[in-house]
Amino acid sequence: MNITLNHFLIVSSLLFSFGLYGIVTRKNAVMVLMGIELILNAANINFLAFSRYSNSIDFGQVAALFVIILAAAESAIALAIVLNIYKTFVNINVDEIDKLRE
Amino acid sequence: MNDISFIQAALAVLFLPLFGFTVTLFFGKRFSKMYLFEVAIISIALAISIYLLFMKLVYFTDAKFVAQIPWINMGDMPGFGKMVIDLGIMIDNVTVIMLFVVCLISALVHYFSIAYMKGDKRYNRYFAYLGIFTFSMLGIVFAHNMLMIYIFWELVGLSSYLLIGFWYEKKSASDASKKAFLVNRVGDIGMLAGILLLFTTYHTFTFDVIFEQIKAGQLPFNSGFWMTVTGILLFCGAIGKSAQFPLHVWLPDAMEGPTPVSALIHAATMVAAGVYLTLRIFPLLTGDALLFIAIIGALSAFIPATIALTQNDIKKVLAYSTISQLGYMTMAIGVGAYSYAFFHLVTHAFFKAGLFLGSGSVIHAMHHEQDIQQMGGLKNKLPITYYTILMYSLAISGIPLTSGFLSKDGILASAYAFGGLTGHQIFAYTGFLVALMTAFYMFRLVFLTFHGEPRNQHKYDHAHESPALMTAPLITLAILSVFAFYTANPFDAGKGWVMSSWIKTPGSVVPEVLRYPFMVEKKTESAENAHEAAIPEQQVNIVHSEEYTEAMHHAHLPAMLLSLLVALAGIGTAYLFYMKKVVDVDKLTSKIKPLYLFSLNKWYFDELYAATFVAFTMGVSKVLAWFDSYIVDGIVNGSASITKYLSNASNLFDKYVVDGLVNFMAIFSGFLGIFVRKFQTGKVQTYIVMVAFSLIVLLFIFI
Amino acid sequence: MNTNYFFESLNFLRPEVVITVFLAVVLSFDLAFPKLKKVLPYLTALGIIISSGYAVQDFLSMQQPQPISSASKLPLLAFDALAVFFKIIILASSLFLVIFSEKSSEIKSTVERLGEYYSLILGMILGMLILVAATDFLLIYLAIELMSLSSYVLAGFLKTSTKSTEASLKYVIYGSVASGIMLFGISLAYGMTQTTNLFVAANSLTMNPGNPILLVFVSLMILSGIGYKISSVPFHFWTPDVYEGAPIPITAYLSVASKAAGFAVLIRFVKTVYPPVDGLMMISAYNINWKQILIYLSIMTMTLGNLSALWQDNLKRMLAYSSIAHAGVVLAAMATMNDEGITAILIYFVIYLLMNFGAFFIVMLIRNEINSEHIDDYNGLGYKMPFYGVMLSIFLVSLTGLPPTAGFIGKLYVFLALVNSKMIFLALIALLNSVISLYYYIRVMKHLYLMGSNDQAETLKVSFSNILVALILAIPVILFGIYFGPVADFAKNSAVMLGVR
Repeated sequence: MNITLNHFLIVSSLLFSFGLYGIVTRKNAVMVLMGIELILNAANINFLAFSRYSNSIDFGQVAALFVIILAAAESAIALAIVLNIYKTFVNINVDEIDKLRE
Repeated sequence: MNDISFIQAALAVLFLPLFGFTVTLFFGKRFSKMYLFEVAIISIALAISIYLLFMKLVYFTDAKFVAQIPWINMGDMPGFGKMVIDLGIMIDNVTVIMLFVVCLISALVHYFSIAYMKGDKRYNRYFAYLGIFTFSMLGIVFAHNMLMIYIFWELVGLSSYLLIGFWYEKKSASDASKKAFLVNRVGDIGMLAGILLLFTTYHTFTFDVIFEQIKAGQLPFNSGFWMTVTGILLFCGAIGKSAQFPLHVWLPDAMEGPTPVSALIHAATMVAAGVYLTLRIFPLLTGDALLFIAIIGALSAFIPATIALTQNDIKKVLAYSTISQLGYMTMAIGVGAYSYAFFHLVTHAFFKAGLFLGSGSVIHAMHHEQDIQQMGGLKNKLPITYYTILMYSLAISGIPLTSGFLSKDGILASAYAFGGLTGHQIFAYTGFLVALMTAFYMFRLVFLTFHGEPRNQHKYDHAHESPALMTAPLITLAILSVFAFYTANPFDAGKGWVMSSWIKTPGSVVPEVLRYPFMVEKKTESAENAHEAAIPEQQVNIVHSEEYTEAMHHAHLPAMLLSLLVALAGIGTAYLFYMKKVVDVDKLTSKIKPLYLFSLNKWYFDELYAATFVAFTMGVSKVLAWFDSYIVDGIVNGSASITKYLSNASNLFDKYVVDGLVNFMAIFSGFLGIFVRKFQTGKVQTYIVMVAFSLIVLLFIFI
Repeated sequence: MNTNYFFESLNFLRPEVVITVFLAVVLSFDLAFPKLKKVLPYLTALGIIISSGYAVQDFLSMQQPQPISSASKLPLLAFDALAVFFKIIILASSLFLVIFSEKSSEIKSTVERLGEYYSLILGMILGMLILVAATDFLLIYLAIELMSLSSYVLAGFLKTSTKSTEASLKYVIYGSVASGIMLFGISLAYGMTQTTNLFVAANSLTMNPGNPILLVFVSLMILSGIGYKISSVPFHFWTPDVYEGAPIPITAYLSVASKAAGFAVLIRFVKTVYPPVDGLMMISAYNINWKQILIYLSIMTMTLGNLSALWQDNLKRMLAYSSIAHAGVVLAAMATMNDEGITAILIYFVIYLLMNFGAFFIVMLIRNEINSEHIDDYNGLGYKMPFYGVMLSIFLVSLTGLPPTAGFIGKLYVFLALVNSKMIFLALIALLNSVISLYYYIRVMKHLYLMGSNDQAETLKVSFSNILVALILAIPVILFGIYFGPVADFAKNSAVMLGVR
């Protein structure tokens, strides 16, 4: 079976949807962050696939590299914030942190 | 000194009084000597204005400095066109002379007030008000467009309201200030209408641009009639501010303000603003508009002069005399004597300010007695005041060697020449008649106040000459009433430097068919001749046309002799009546009792207005009140009872029908507010769900 | 691409270079002299001032439209008047941010961490400076991330405050998701056009529009990333919570500078990538009707912002909703899609900077005194703190948009742009919204002056520097309300020189 562009796109769309689903449903803040990673990596797959299956310059691979680095930086900062949340709230359940509302 | 420094100096003079006002007002309560700051500020302004006057008249006689910045730039407005409103100041000879007059009199009034107002509980505030007043007036002087004039015009209205009603505990004072304010508004409505007419036609407020466009043949609604209407509407503002007939009623009442304020408002500043405005718009006035102005001027000169003959309050006499003299100026503009009108504005400013300050000195000496029947013989007690007032009275009566003679003679000659050219001789006759009455009532005042036996011995004994701070301004103004400042020839101002080189009559810009015939220059034979002839002619200062200059020339001598004659006659009559007592005044008055009463009661103008306009307004408001209380309330009550009777089940409509809509909107948006803030659950995951959901909704909307 | 090219292009990046250098300086200074925390704000301010000096110089040097380099060169950054204008706005607000931080008691309580505070601020500025000039999707994403990452930390900078911490958590999750969605959209756009460059993408879209549904989908995904920065409904949910929790200087900064950067990139994105739309008719069948999208967003943003603000008792939160509403007004101007609308936006931002910073500054100073932002604690404060009362009233009146304040002028230009584009309906809605907003702004004044005890026990002494800063913000607010020619001309020039067409 030939692997075509569409296969990659289906995978990335699924990844994106799982990511979004995870962000919305998981209580644990760390799992929410994982969901965000999934979204970013879905985009990465897109970049790489489009780059591979088009005859233009391979700009998508560069983009993917950038995104990987950024994802790392983002998780570092997000985890630091989650740590701080744990210090002040003594739990990291996202749906219980809702003092600021309305 | 160049353009820029002129403009900078002008801006400095303009804003100094505002600065003085702000500082004095805000720190006046904390520092009791704060008024000195305002006095210092006005002195600096005066010094700069003298410098400007000197530089401009000596070195830049024919230059005109304009500086302007765009204030509001709306670009192209739909349905209107380009809309740019500029802020600008303009400096020409008229401006600097007026600037000097305003600054000088304002400064003198400041000095005078230091002594006169001593002990007043709102001493500092008084000086602050003088500051804002001077600022507003200077704004009018410098303004380069109609809108700025209008803004400062209203500021003058406001600050005069503050000053006239300065002793607001006194009911008469607060009433007078209200009256002045309201009567002025009547004129201002006309002026605003005129300004808006100009703006809709020319899309600008700037004088020069308007004049150019008129010259190019563009008229409001393309009709000469509307050009006339515009001119008359603008002049309405002047009618109000310069207290011209029929809106003159506020000025005599305004005497309730402190006397130095009267000197400031009624001599040099506020009332002069009206004449100044008319001078500024002079080029766009059509022949018909000028005739209207001349008629208003003649009426305003004549009616108050007859009233002044019988008044006994020293300030009231001066107040009516002011209206009368302003009428002179307005009439002069109407007959085309632009330069003499302005000249009279200047000379009158000096001697009328002097007269008011002098009367202030007398009132001060007599412990706030204003009735001249209670005075008499004060000559010995108040020598300086007496001689200065005598000087001013000679000037206002038009006796040779005084400034008043020069300007008044010029106006009368113009009116006379005008009569010869157009056939409207009535203005010249009115002028001479008023001159006669002026001489009479002024010297009646002088004789009754200073000569003869004291009629109130008690007050006479306590009278004393005023301190130097009060007499020094009087002397300054008296010196400025001498002819030598204006011309070398005491009998003809036309040859002097003021008239021949400083004040140039601007040419009319309206189409020739709309002008007076004499304002149209006859075409010379050939263009070359005209060009050659133009060079020597510049020195002659041709006004309007050679025809008019010629007529002025011929009118000069007879007018001078006649005016001298009537002035002497007036003084002589006063002398016979009040010094020699040749005629028993009481007997005379009882003989012509109706006339006397008519004059004494000021032609019943106040009563007339009370019976007509005020009564009409009151009537209308009564009708409205009746309508309100019977019809409107009746409907409301009726509908309420009807709903009550008809449907006991639902009287929800009751009064919510009337004012429910607004409340409904408020409550509705309030409910919506409560509703929408519920979206903000505080849970970040809900937010993300909502974002994703809205993205999908948006997708379906926009596909 | 040789080294010469690199150094030459640095000439166009002087403000960014200066900020980068100072970022390094502040970081190393803090490490080298840990005791000298007091110097840090001055160092940061110095960097900002030098940088804005260069930005102003760039602006003045732009006598005529700077041609954007042709698509073949694939420029990453645009050097045009629009970018420089927004750089100046951003740098000016950064300067206010440093001043505010210096005055804020919240920030003072974290003195030992000032080094990271100011380096994060500089990082955020750098992100914004790049964002307003970026002409490449990837660079836009990177710049948004750079400024967001710094602002996540800054929002939660008060580590011990539960509100602040909560704000930062919500911000980081929400922001990451929004920019993640945007990145996904960008990756699809890359698939459609084979490029991440805006100009090339525009060319490619004109030639081969692709699937229209996909185009709308991708555009909306990218919009969600930008929309979250400008806090436009429906991407606004983070705004009130984060604004309420973050330290006041950061809140003020987020509400002005990051919003300005967001709008700059929105203008560039919409005007560059998509062929112009004539009226409500689309030229190309496969184009997106941005006008319609923006009208919808604008109406929702204005209305929701104002309605929610009606019931807020916390002043910071109220101002947060009010800033959402103001974004709606700017979106309305944007919806005209013409130069006049852009001019109105630029004018609006200059004015909005002054009045919004002013309002936040006074709220901060009052918080320094009474340690609260609750409206009930403001009762009678107009008498106890007369200066603050008057100043806050001025700024709030201006935010409402009543004459004679600058806010009126800002709104006026927006309305004029709308009326001239025959969008009367939108203008009417904006007008109705102004009426609604009047209620909650006036409510503050009611609490200041009419409620509570007005025993004039002792009036608060205000320090000279506070008066100075407040006046620097307040005087232009009044002055521009009366004489606004210069601002309008400044903005008009920038819009005329707009490179994006």
